[in-house]
Parts: sequence; structure tokens; C-alpha cells
Amino acid sequence: MKKKAYLGIDIGSISTKGVIIDENNTFLAESYLWTEGNPIEATKKVLRALKEQFDADAYQITASGTTGSARKLVGSMIKAQVVKNEITAHAVGTTTLHPDVRTILEIGGQDSKIICVENAVAVDYAMNTLCAAGTGAFLSSQAHRLGVEVEEFGEIALKAKKAAPIAARCTVFAESDLVHKLQVGCPKDEIIAGLCKAVVGNYLNNVAKGKKITPPVVFQGGVSKNAGVVHMFEKELGMPVLVDEKGHLMGAFGIAVLAGEEQKESAFSFDVAKMDFKTREVTCGKCANHCEIICVYQDGKLIDSWGNRCDNGAVHQ
Amino acid sequence: MELKIDDRKKIAFPRISHYNYAIKYIVEQGLAADYVLLPPATRKTMELGSKYSPDYACAPFKHTLGSLIEALEAGADILVETGGLCRLDAYGELQEEILRELGYQFEFINLAEYMGQKKSSWLKLAKRLTPKMNPARMFTGAYEGVKMAEYMDEIEALYYQNAGLEVQPGSFKKVYRKFLLQMQTAENRREIRDAYQNAKQQMEDLELKLPEHTIRIGIVGEYFTVMDQHSNQFLQEKLVGLGASVYRFLNVTNCHFRAKEPALRPRIDEYVRFNMGTTTTWTLNAALDYAKQGFDGIIHVKSFGCTPEMDAIPVLQNISKDYHIPILYLSYDLQESDTGLDTRLEAFYDMLERKKKILR
Repeated sequence: MKKKAYLGIDIGSISTKGVIIDENNTFLAESYLWTEGNPIEATKKVLRALKEQFDADAYQITASGTTGSARKLVGSMIKAQVVKNEITAHAVGTTTLHPDVRTILEIGGQDSKIICVENAVAVDYAMNTLCAAGTGAFLSSQAHRLGVEVEEFGEIALKAKKAAPIAARCTVFAESDLVHKLQVGCPKDEIIAGLCKAVVGNYLNNVAKGKKITPPVVFQGGVSKNAGVVHMFEKELGMPVLVDEKGHLMGAFGIAVLAGEEQKESAFSFDVAKMDFKTREVTCGKCANHCEIICVYQDGKLIDSWGNRCDNGAVHQ
Repeated sequence: MELKIDDRKKIAFPRISHYNYAIKYIVEQGLAADYVLLPPATRKTMELGSKYSPDYACAPFKHTLGSLIEALEAGADILVETGGLCRLDAYGELQEEILRELGYQFEFINLAEYMGQKKSSWLKLAKRLTPKMNPARMFTGAYEGVKMAEYMDEIEALYYQNAGLEVQPGSFKKVYRKFLLQMQTAENRREIRDAYQNAKQQMEDLELKLPEHTIRIGIVGEYFTVMDQHSNQFLQEKLVGLGASVYRFLNVTNCHFRAKEPALRPRIDEYVRFNMGTTTTWTLNAALDYAKQGFDGIIHVKSFGCTPEMDAIPVLQNISKDYHIPILYLSYDLQESDTGLDTRLEAFYDMLERKKKILR
């Protein structure tokens, strides 16, 4: 008999991640690529990549889960058993791999969060509100301005002698600070180090405000790949900050673990990657709320819809 | 062609939660005037409100201005706006000016001008609204209206505390909706009391499934946003949908008819030594109470930039630390999408549920 395996997909604003794990939470296959504004296509690509690494003779995927901002869409696409928010997924993923962790710092493409953990259970969390200052999107737009690849940021920042002071509060202000520094001839590496520091300052002053950061600390999300930011965190917090090499996959891993915990089981088939999915946004005209209802079609057939605030807008299949 | 079947002046008040039914009752039964009861707020209300508001006005200003514009469009002659202990006191003055500049014709009553005044000036105001006013009728109407508000608060609390645990999906909602409809149409004391008794009895008879770990969440925060479900994007309804039992101390009954600020403050003197203004004492007292009662979590709600509630946050953080209770902070402006809120609430609820399942 084939051994059980669980699939987890994390579809973020910037990147899409997929993993397959076995019952002992060991990675069987993994994939990480850019969403490029098309979660359906990105998921298909991830599934194709996973299929190549996956040993279909030894294992059978019995449950799947989705998380991230497109979790609902992809969830109905692959008929996932578990569709959960990324905060829960990250907490579960990290505490499974690092049971002793006390604080999880996370900076992704458009959001940042902090999760406090006790006895391997999340007990408190906070998430950025209102704006995306100090997230991956901010760093990559600044990298573009400086003509540097965002992947090189960390290395350059570590080489800098000091960090140029850059306002951390707001992206717009940070940008005008940055332009000013460039115009007065400040070296690029110091500016980049300054940006990394600004991200850390912004995070600690906004998201982590009022939360106690207790070691061991794990830092994850796309920005954790930036060694400059990691260094600044360690300096500011005065404690080691662990970056897991699988940190970028933690959401997908967590949701796969949750899918495994779920009692519902049904065989998953990679054929989904071959099907045609379309979404249509319909504005409901039944009241002045004008809810935008998302309808998902599989090979031209309506399979799911959501977005209506009241029963008037319910779409019947 | 205008058909004049009723030459009474039509009075309107901005929407706030379910209280317009009580205000309608006081106006119609007490003052024998006409009341413009608006349908539930929609996105249009928000758009109207924010279009004509100063950008940095707090969200309740925009919501109430939107309501007033819709009331004028619906034919209101007299607009009433209230005052309070924060920026709310300036709402009336500013909104009147904005509406006049928009070219509307109306009479404006700013209650901020009457607050702290003698009873005689309130009587004079009532006379102005209805020249043939009967004082006895007015007092009875006002008394019954207040009772109605109290009943609505009680039934609402029952609803949010229990609906998340119902066996039959939608059973609580059905009773609650019917009750609100009865309040909307009630014309005398008996109708109010009968509807209340029925709703309460029916809710108590409904079957509940009590899970091993019931998640109890307390809601605290700024007066308007915390009570008005359209302003907080149906926060409590969403939590009920997740299966939580939701408590909220702050309502008109507790805030105006029962707990007085000086009486509550000694209970939180461990954390605060003076009144920080508007509803902060209620917020902190309720939060501390929930923490002591062993609630699973607290959600703090405010409109973006609400200064008094911002001041309450550091104190809440202390309570959170001392009693080891997680607090989720929500700040509302005029958002279009529910996605961000849904994610945060789902994560908060999941966290509380998991914590309870594993740690206890």
C-alpha cells in the first residue's frame, strides 16, 4: 500500500510556494516561484514542478491545503480540505519544525507579522495594518530605483561601514530620504544598509509594538533571505535570530501539516494542472452595496463563488 | 406633484446600530412628530460621507454625514446631531456647515449645545420641534423609548453570546431579526414588552451545542465603531460565524443608563489614575473584567486616529501582559474590502482555539 502524503500550497501576493510532506513531516517535494499576478497559472506551475519531484509509486496524496492571499480561489480549484489564513499556517509550520521557538518574525511581500509562541502554540499575534511600509514590496521598489537586484541587497548591506539614516515610518518619506542621500553623494552600500535598518525599525515600532520578543527567535518570509535585514534584527534585538533554510516554505509546510491533521481524506490528482480555470467578477445589483462576487469556473462550469455579504447575492450552482 | 397628507415636520438622526428604532419611537410617540427611518447603510452611504468630509475626520463623522445626506434626500426637514466628549462635540457644527454649502434646506439641531444645560432648555427644544407638545406624553414616550433601547441591547447581547453555539444554523438570527422588526413597528409599551418577552424566551429555548472549548471573545473600543455593525464591517457577526461566543459591555444601556464613569474608575485604579476621556474607562474596565473572567481573547476596535482610544492601547497592553490574554487591535477607516479583516479574525480565532485545545 502506498504511504500517505500531504500537499500544501501557499499563494502569496509575490510568490507561490508548494510542498509535499509525508506523515512524519519530512519534505518530499518543494517548489517556489513568482506569482506574477496570476495565482491560477502559478499554482499549475507549482503543481507541475512538484509532480516531477514526487514519487507517485511510493506515496499517495490524501489531503491538501491552501493558504496565502489567494487561498480561497486555489482552494476551490484543487478542492483542498483545509483553507486557512497564512498566520495560522506559519505558526503551525514553524512550531512543528522548531518546537522551542518563542517568537516568529515574518516579513513577506506585502505584509509583516509577529507571532508569540508558548509551549509550541501561538498565543498572540499582530499584523501590519493600513500600509505596506517596510515589507518586501518596499525593498524591491527601492532596489529598482538604485539599479540593484533585490537579491543582492543583503550582501551589499553587510559590506557597508555604516547605515545611512533613513526614515522608517512611511515608504513615501523613506523614498524622499533616499533620494536626498543619493543627491548628496552618500555611498550606495550605506544607503542599502540604511534601508535594511529602516525595515527593522519600522517592523519593531509598528507590528511588534507592545509585544515581548523572547528568544529563540525565528525570522521568515521572503525578506528573511536578506542577510542585511537579519543582521540588523540581531543588532537591534541583541539576540540571535534564526533563519530556517526552509523559511520561505513555512506557510505551505504549515498548511500541509494542518491538512494531515484533518480527518477528511480524498485522493488528490495532479490532473488539476491540466484543467482550465477562469474567474469572473460580477457586481451584484440587488442593493447599493454592490458586492463584487467572484465566480470560479472549471472547464466552463461554475464550481464556486463568494464575496456576497447577504443571501440576496448568493450564486446558485 | 407633492401630496401633503401630513404636515408634521420630519425629523432625522444619523444611523447608529439599532438605536434608530428607539429614537423613532421617542420622536413619533413622545413628540408626535414624524421620523425618517433610513434603510440599512450601504457602500453608497460611506461614499457620500467621505466625499464631503475633511480627509482627516474620523470614520464615524463620515458615516453620520452620509446618513444625514441620505436623510435629506429622503425628505427630512429637521436634522439632529449629538455631541460628546471628543471630536464628536464638533461634528454638528461642521456637518451643518457642510450640508448648507451643499445647498440643502433644513433645520439643524445640534444637541452639543444643549448638553450640560438645564431641563428647561430641553423642554424648550421639544416645544420647538412640536409646538403642540404634551409634556406628559413626551416623558412617557421618552421613558418607553429608553426601555426599548435597553431591551434591544439585552437581546442583542444574548444573540451575540449564543448564536455561535447554535445547533440549528440561523435559528438565533431568525428570532433576532423578527424582534428588530417588531421594535421598528412598535407603537406602544405593550408591543415593546411582548416582543421582548417573546424574543428572550425563544432565544433561551433554542438548543445550544456546548463544545469542549467554547471560545469567548470580548469586544471593547470606541463608542460608535464598536456598536455600529456597518462601521465595523459586521465584526461580531463574523466572529459568531466562526463559532465564538461574543461579549460586548459597551452599549447605550451600560454607557448612559447604568455604569457611570466615576463608579467604574475605582475598579481599574490599578491601571489608570484619571479619566482619559470619552469611552476609555468603559473600554479598560470591560477589558479588565474579561481578562479576570478568563476570556480567551479581546478585540479592541476604534476608528483610525481616534485619540482617546489610542491612549487606551498602552494600558490594554499592560492588561494583556498581566493576565496573559491576547488582544487584537483593529483600526477602521472606510475600507472597501473585508478580506483583511476576515484573515485577521480567522487567524485570531484559530489561535485561541488551538491554544485552548493544546494547552488545557
